[in-house]
Amino acid sequence: MTNQLKTGQKALNMNDSSMHSNTDRIKKSLKKRNSKEKRFRLWGRLAISFGFLMVAILFADIGTKAYPAFFQHWIKVDIEFNRQWLSIEPSDSAVRPDMQALKQANYSATVKKSLYQMFPSITARGDKRDLMKLLSYSAEFKIEDLVTANPDLLGQRVSLWLLADDDVDSYFKSDFTAGQSSGRINDKQAMWLKQLFDSGAVEKRFNTLFFTNSDSREPELAGIRGALSGTILTMIIVLAISFPIGVSAALYLEEFAPKNRWTDMIEVNINNLAAVPSIVFGLLGLAVLINIFGLPRSASLVGGIVLSLMTLPTIIIASRASIKAVPNSIREAAIGLGASDMQVTLEHVLPMAMPGILTGTIIGLAQALGETAPLLMIGMVAFIVDVPTNFTDAATVMPVQIYLWADSPESAFLAKTSAAILVLLAFLLIMNFSATFLRSKFEKNGQ
Amino acid sequence: MTIKTKSLTDGMEIEHTVGNVFADDPKMSMRNVDVFYNDKQAIKNVSIDLARNQVTALIGPSGCGKSTFLRCLNRMNDTIDICKIKGSLLLDGEDIYHKKMDPVLLRARVGMVFQKPNPFPKSIYDNVAYGPRIHGLAASKDDLDEIVVTSLQKAGLYKEVKDRLSSSGTGLSGGQQQRLCIARTIAVSPEIILMDEPASALDPIATAIIEELIDELKEKYTIAIVTHSMQQAARISQTTAYFHMGSLIEVGSTDHIFTNPSHQLTENYITGRFG
Amino acid sequence: MTSTALILIITLLTLGSYWVGMQRSIKVAGGVSQIKNMHSLPQQFGLLTAFCCGLPALFLLLLWGIVEPIIIQSLLVDSLDAQVQALSSADLSLYLNDIRIMADSTLSELSNDGVKQQAALYLQVLKDQASILKSGLILITALASVMFIASRFKLSFSARALSESVTKFLFLSCSVVAIFTTLGILMSVLFESLQFFKSVSSLDFLFGTTWSPQIAMRSDQVGSSGAFGAVPLFAGTMLISFIAMTIAAPVGLLTAIYLSQYASPTLRTIAKPMLEILAGIPTVVYGFFAALTVAPFIRDTGEALGLNVASESALAAGIVMGVMIIPFVSSLSDDALNAVPKALKEGSLAMGATESETIKKILLPAALPGIIGAMLLAVSRAIGETMIVVMAAGMAANLTANPLAAVTTVTVQIVTLLTGDQEFDSPKTLAAFALGLMLFVTTLLLNVIALKVVRKYREQYD
Repeated sequence: MTNQLKTGQKALNMNDSSMHSNTDRIKKSLKKRNSKEKRFRLWGRLAISFGFLMVAILFADIGTKAYPAFFQHWIKVDIEFNRQWLSIEPSDSAVRPDMQALKQANYSATVKKSLYQMFPSITARGDKRDLMKLLSYSAEFKIEDLVTANPDLLGQRVSLWLLADDDVDSYFKSDFTAGQSSGRINDKQAMWLKQLFDSGAVEKRFNTLFFTNSDSREPELAGIRGALSGTILTMIIVLAISFPIGVSAALYLEEFAPKNRWTDMIEVNINNLAAVPSIVFGLLGLAVLINIFGLPRSASLVGGIVLSLMTLPTIIIASRASIKAVPNSIREAAIGLGASDMQVTLEHVLPMAMPGILTGTIIGLAQALGETAPLLMIGMVAFIVDVPTNFTDAATVMPVQIYLWADSPESAFLAKTSAAILVLLAFLLIMNFSATFLRSKFEKNGQ
Repeated sequence: MTIKTKSLTDGMEIEHTVGNVFADDPKMSMRNVDVFYNDKQAIKNVSIDLARNQVTALIGPSGCGKSTFLRCLNRMNDTIDICKIKGSLLLDGEDIYHKKMDPVLLRARVGMVFQKPNPFPKSIYDNVAYGPRIHGLAASKDDLDEIVVTSLQKAGLYKEVKDRLSSSGTGLSGGQQQRLCIARTIAVSPEIILMDEPASALDPIATAIIEELIDELKEKYTIAIVTHSMQQAARISQTTAYFHMGSLIEVGSTDHIFTNPSHQLTENYITGRFG
Repeated sequence: MTSTALILIITLLTLGSYWVGMQRSIKVAGGVSQIKNMHSLPQQFGLLTAFCCGLPALFLLLLWGIVEPIIIQSLLVDSLDAQVQALSSADLSLYLNDIRIMADSTLSELSNDGVKQQAALYLQVLKDQASILKSGLILITALASVMFIASRFKLSFSARALSESVTKFLFLSCSVVAIFTTLGILMSVLFESLQFFKSVSSLDFLFGTTWSPQIAMRSDQVGSSGAFGAVPLFAGTMLISFIAMTIAAPVGLLTAIYLSQYASPTLRTIAKPMLEILAGIPTVVYGFFAALTVAPFIRDTGEALGLNVASESALAAGIVMGVMIIPFVSSLSDDALNAVPKALKEGSLAMGATESETIKKILLPAALPGIIGAMLLAVSRAIGETMIVVMAAGMAANLTANPLAAVTTVTVQIVTLLTGDQEFDSPKTLAAFALGLMLFVTTLLLNVIALKVVRKYREQYD
């Protein structure tokens, strides 16, 4: 100890005067150091601003692109339900035609001739064809529906709002100068459209077809209903498979599993599975579910199973964390009252862990809802017009629909794609916020 | 000194500190310091001086605010968003909470040693050289070597580690780690060293070494130490301040406080009836 | 009866048998007041009965689903003419496929091949019979096992222990699903890859520099062998991942640092959801954004600067992928930074270090293993990302390091090879599985290393 004291004193004598020179030196360096500090903070702020900027650009970009898709233009046409045009026999107005005759009537000619009547000056064949192109081809189906529902219309003349073709729709949505050609609308068509517009025969309406129709080759008719149904069916499968299996697995691993190499392996396995690229799950679905088990391609059943396997690790990891967070005193108290392991787990631990488990499940489902790549592998990428009603029907889902539309050459599909993205994002945001809400509520209860 | 005494319960209000808070040659002087965590007041109207080249011990039961008060002296509480400080705290007559006072400079002048040894996960050499390097105190490699060696010597650690300066600081024993932290603090040549229960995580032998070290260090530095151990306070300090529920109850020479406390609360604490 | 309906009936029966088991046990006990004499509670008897009803039924259903197609097919083949039976396996399967399609469709007049039509009718009959047999067998098994278990109920019957061990066994099987998934992935990519390597040498695949699988489409074409040198794909994947990481690594790390060390609580409450939104956006949306907004923007900018930019440049895909990975990097880095004990930060600040000095010299070095782990996981994410590159990167397998050129990636090629019509045993299709194997092995390795590093590092501070 004395030795130490000596060296200490020696040292004290050694730099006795260093104190004030130190302060001065530090003072001198401060300016540089503080500006370095400021620069570092600035970098941090820039990084965060970059994130905000990207979110803003992304949403603004998609939002502005999507906006036009929510509106459509309709054209008022005076349709004459002329028996001759419809080629309904007999042309005698007194006799009511039977259903068969109505079904086979020529509605397309009726639309055409009614339209020509509105523009009597048009005679050239090419012009007539251009005129017809102003209307969506769905017009004939609309008047067919009208007539079959009400055969009394025959022989009458009715003003009807008919859906405009997507080129016309885009024309009205762009900054067009009235009467000038633009895009795929030529000069003559532009002139007719101006006439129609001036006479009040063009109207912009909210696009309900987008939500009630399925996919179509015609952009003005394409909607998301089929994809939405497919998504719902797929999500039902995902929920039905991944929730019970995920929670059971988590309960086993946390509450019952002995701590040995086996459970260690399962745990490592789950962690790794969580980071396996989603497309690889698609390969699994293709090779095993479709080629070995012979499940139908493109079906929401297969899509659901693949996505469930992909979602499982997320749900298991979240559930385990939540189960682990249940205080041990709860278990001890219940065991002390004579409850069995299983009763403690199911009646005490599980209910307390439920909010956390649900949060994890919602996050997992949101992940599955936005997933595309594995579904491409199992053929859910087909063009499907029918709304799927069964788990084995060929179906597509929202993200795949977005992918398909994004690939389409027609410019009108660009807006459709963006609109579908907005719908998908709306779902995801709702799910994410409910998960955050649940979590915050859970955290409050946990305190 | 007037004392307003209602009862000896915890709800008691203290208007004034008993004893002489003024030091003859104060290095730091604090006046009417209040500290708030949000709305909760942690320190109530505390005034005290730290005498130059002396050891001042801050004692009191857990949660009495002595650590909080200590952390105000080098603005470590700045890192806590909800912490607000009022009153005047002067270092050599300079207000340390003044706008122009840079906390970086202040902390270089007022060093701190923590309860749990916290060496950086670097070599022993780099631990001690950390301060001089960031402050640019060494002009050359030789300068730096000298600072490291003298600091380790002052902390009484040099002999033990001179052959393994490049091995990790976290590999040392608890007592050695704490002396390493002291060496690290000394290396910047501070004027004051604040110690927050520096020996509470150590065994008795390591504690004795640290206490001896503190006794040597006061020759050069002004020291304020928070301690739980009254024996420690009695052994190493010249002045003792007793805190209770955020208030400073009594200040006086250590001999006086431990032999003849003036305030009932101090006496209760010293005699072990409380805390 | 369809499978869906059958499953629904089994579910209802299972729920019903729970009730039956409960009632039966109460009766055995001699009324509600006598329950205390029983070894187990009525609910536990109910649960056991429900297990006895549902589990065998579900097991049979699964078994049937696997066995039925095989039996029906062999019956169908037996019924056909000898000359049809003598067809090669590929032709036979085509022939059978025709019959299946005819049997499924209601418009049986589609074909005028009488033999096939007959077979289709026979298939229909077989299927109908199988369906009835299946439903009957399953329902009878369920009911029989319920009756069996219910008849064994007595006072000392330990329904609790039995039902609990069944439950535990169910839990255990669920936790093994993850292992089977991994095995399934491994087997499926491995098996098909081995098939692939039978026709294409693995050296050519791993080190070949020409990738043009399309040529192999038609066997009668000249040069039909196709080229399966995957180096351009690996290079393209690495190029895009590299671009992504040059964005995501600094931005993600700085975001984590700023949010955990500097940001006010208000900024934190705004920025966290922002990151969650970025993380929650589906990759197909990023792909759309990359292909239709970023790529044209980069092309136009590049052209304005006089550069030659491909319309599907690696840069566009890489940048957007980087944005996608930012939240991933930042949340993992945040974890790593938070694992550093607060005492170290305080120690450094108390020495008079500025906050940035503390971060650079103390926090980051201490958190380095965790941050490296985070970066490895992010790289693995980038390599496996599919939709962004499918939509925004090209198909052209160029071997280049120029970020303005078009490159293709492993995932893009997997999607290209496997979407649309496919013959399952052509090297073109199998190549996708070989690529899948490479992808799986690479990402698995990265993950294992990353998780090891992170775990080691956690232990250091625990």
